[in-house]
Amino acid sequence: MLPALTSTDAITEAFRELGYIADRSIATAVFLGLQLGRPLLLEGEAGVGKTELAKVLASSLGTRLIRLQCYEGLDVNTAVYEWNYPRQMLEIRLLEARGQADHATAHNIFGAEFLIKRPLLQALEGGADGEPPVLLIDEIDRADEEFEAYLLEILSDFQVTVPEIGTIRAERPPRVILTSNRTREVHDALKRRCLYHWIDYPSAAKEFEIVQARVPGAPEMLARAVVAFIHRLREADLTKVPGIAETLDWAAALMALGAAELTPEVVDETLGVVLKYEEDIRQVRGETVKAYLAEAAAGR
Amino acid sequence: MSHDPAIVASGPREAVDGHRVLQRAVGFGRALRKAGLAVDLSSEIDFARALGIVDIGDRELVRAAGAAVFTRRRDDRPVYDRVFDHYWRRPSLQPNLEGPGAEQRPEAVPADQGVPQEAPLSGDERSDLPDDRGGMPIPTDGDADEDELAPDVVTISPDAYSHSETIRHRDFDRMTAQELRDAERLVDLLEPRLELRRTRRYELHRHGRRLASRQMFRRNLATGGEVLEWVWRRHVRRPRPLVVLCDISGSMERHSRLLLRFIQALSASSAVKTESFVFGTRLTRVTRIMKDRNRDRALAKVADAVTDWAGGTRIGESFRDFNHRWARRTLRTSGVVIVVSDGWDRGDPRLVELETARLRRNCHRLVWLNPLAGTPGYQPLAAGMRAAYPYIDDFLAAGTVASLERLGEILAGGRGADTRRGSEAAAHVAPSPDAIRTFAPPPKVVRTPQDPFAARPLE
Repeated sequence: MLPALTSTDAITEAFRELGYIADRSIATAVFLGLQLGRPLLLEGEAGVGKTELAKVLASSLGTRLIRLQCYEGLDVNTAVYEWNYPRQMLEIRLLEARGQADHATAHNIFGAEFLIKRPLLQALEGGADGEPPVLLIDEIDRADEEFEAYLLEILSDFQVTVPEIGTIRAERPPRVILTSNRTREVHDALKRRCLYHWIDYPSAAKEFEIVQARVPGAPEMLARAVVAFIHRLREADLTKVPGIAETLDWAAALMALGAAELTPEVVDETLGVVLKYEEDIRQVRGETVKAYLAEAAAGR
Repeated sequence: MSHDPAIVASGPREAVDGHRVLQRAVGFGRALRKAGLAVDLSSEIDFARALGIVDIGDRELVRAAGAAVFTRRRDDRPVYDRVFDHYWRRPSLQPNLEGPGAEQRPEAVPADQGVPQEAPLSGDERSDLPDDRGGMPIPTDGDADEDELAPDVVTISPDAYSHSETIRHRDFDRMTAQELRDAERLVDLLEPRLELRRTRRYELHRHGRRLASRQMFRRNLATGGEVLEWVWRRHVRRPRPLVVLCDISGSMERHSRLLLRFIQALSASSAVKTESFVFGTRLTRVTRIMKDRNRDRALAKVADAVTDWAGGTRIGESFRDFNHRWARRTLRTSGVVIVVSDGWDRGDPRLVELETARLRRNCHRLVWLNPLAGTPGYQPLAAGMRAAYPYIDDFLAAGTVASLERLGEILAGGRGADTRRGSEAAAHVAPSPDAIRTFAPPPKVVRTPQDPFAARPLE
């Protein structure tokens, strides 16, 4: 039996069960999104768990997750629907061969069975059980403005018009999560239709919890050291500071290597898991790593 | 739109309460609007509904709910928090809570508080508002990392308004009709020439090179799939976005007027997306201000938004700020960066070098306009200039209209650029060939080998 997500605390609890440690402000935003039937726009640096949130929401609601990955040039044919032209051709040929190709059948080839449903249309149709799915529109900032404008219509009315068939409307609107890495500003008109939440890097205590939930078996000492080091890195002047995803990867990598504690040598060897820019690695490797570790040791 | 059970279920008794809640929500929304957030009625209604379904007794919960409803970008959050703390104070501090005229309350609250009117919010986010600067004053003497949180909020310190400063502003924001015409003429020249980028989107076009199979199937359904009509498509092309970083430090003062006019004319053009920043000791984003239709007012606002007029220059720090905070947001579709600076820098040249290199890697093309480069015999000897020089694709003189015309040639980039770039084009367009100079490469040329455009000579 799934818990009903009827309060902020219930959401926090349900997410925790699934290994997602949400703070209260995220839980409140999700709760309001569900209650008000509004899409939720999540922004934050890469690797803070935006996409993960949608997955966890879908599993805690026990519904399907429909994901639409955005990219430049994404169009209606790949996002909403497309006619199955080859099948239509075959159908016409078949009807011709049977000598049945009259005016009426020509009309029928634009019927629902020739329609290929893409993610947005699937999301409007809902599941077999009538439960609305969770629709994840991932990295909306990568789509271009034409697509954003198209989304406006869908997100405000939850309906799609297919000229040959008519308007398809969602009986129960899907729960929509949009994510953005902020590689560009999402248009205000779209933001107006959404609730907004900026996901920040978590506090050290919370990140430690996340490591424990996500990398089971990580020794406490190691987990704390990893989190402390990552937090120190986030303060440094780097091209790209590590996100939570990097913290988890690193903890897992260290366990795979059988490292029991962070030594300068171990850190230097595995720095590529955490930092993804060569200049960042060059800047941190060696003396800086030693300094950070010493700082962390002194702090504890 | 689904109906929220909590509100649908609420009986008439709640409805009376609901009215008051709505009023307070609207009042709060109004206070936020005054502080510069883009709040509309629908978000106020959402907030009222939210108050109906979260525990109102829990202050942090209400705060989080309001944040979800009212904020639209990360930079809104610090402003939101300050207004929230002001508006939802403890009941003991808010005697008029139940009183009539609740709608006036938000305006009245700060006055009651006696918060000095020293620091109204300004900056590009705020400039969309009418010129009502005396609105809700928010103390902006916050924590040190406020700049991190609110890049769009520009604090004006009281002493920025010293007498001499005002005079400088006046110099700067008045412009002769002739200058204005020149700047506009430049943009007219520029627009049709901007370098195009092939986008990932297609359009149907008779001379396209790819088959548009979908449309072809569709059009040929009538003949049962016998292809009688061929349909072609090609990539849509758009001008590359421009990012302008303009130095407004003391040494640039004489030139910044014309250059800002030029940037402004670019920003007003709908053909190209322009992001603009000014820097002296620190970087300020002025994109939204530059879009103001009233051009003199816009320049006055730039003057207001900037705290470090005619002060020193920190190119390295300013570039670092740009690389960290803005590069990913403004250069995603590989734009062209135009830096306008004389390269006089008080900071560490190594930082300038590092950050210019970083900037170069993030953009399609790095153009540097230097007002000094027009003087005969100029060599890039200023420490900052020398550090940045190896990473620049095009180095041009700036400061005169003639030299800016040459910029149009540069920005035209790949499209027929090779012919335009030749001496014939230069002679034709740029009245004084002296305006553009090339130098022997400096001793330490660091060039990315995979980039054929790096530091290409101009003539």
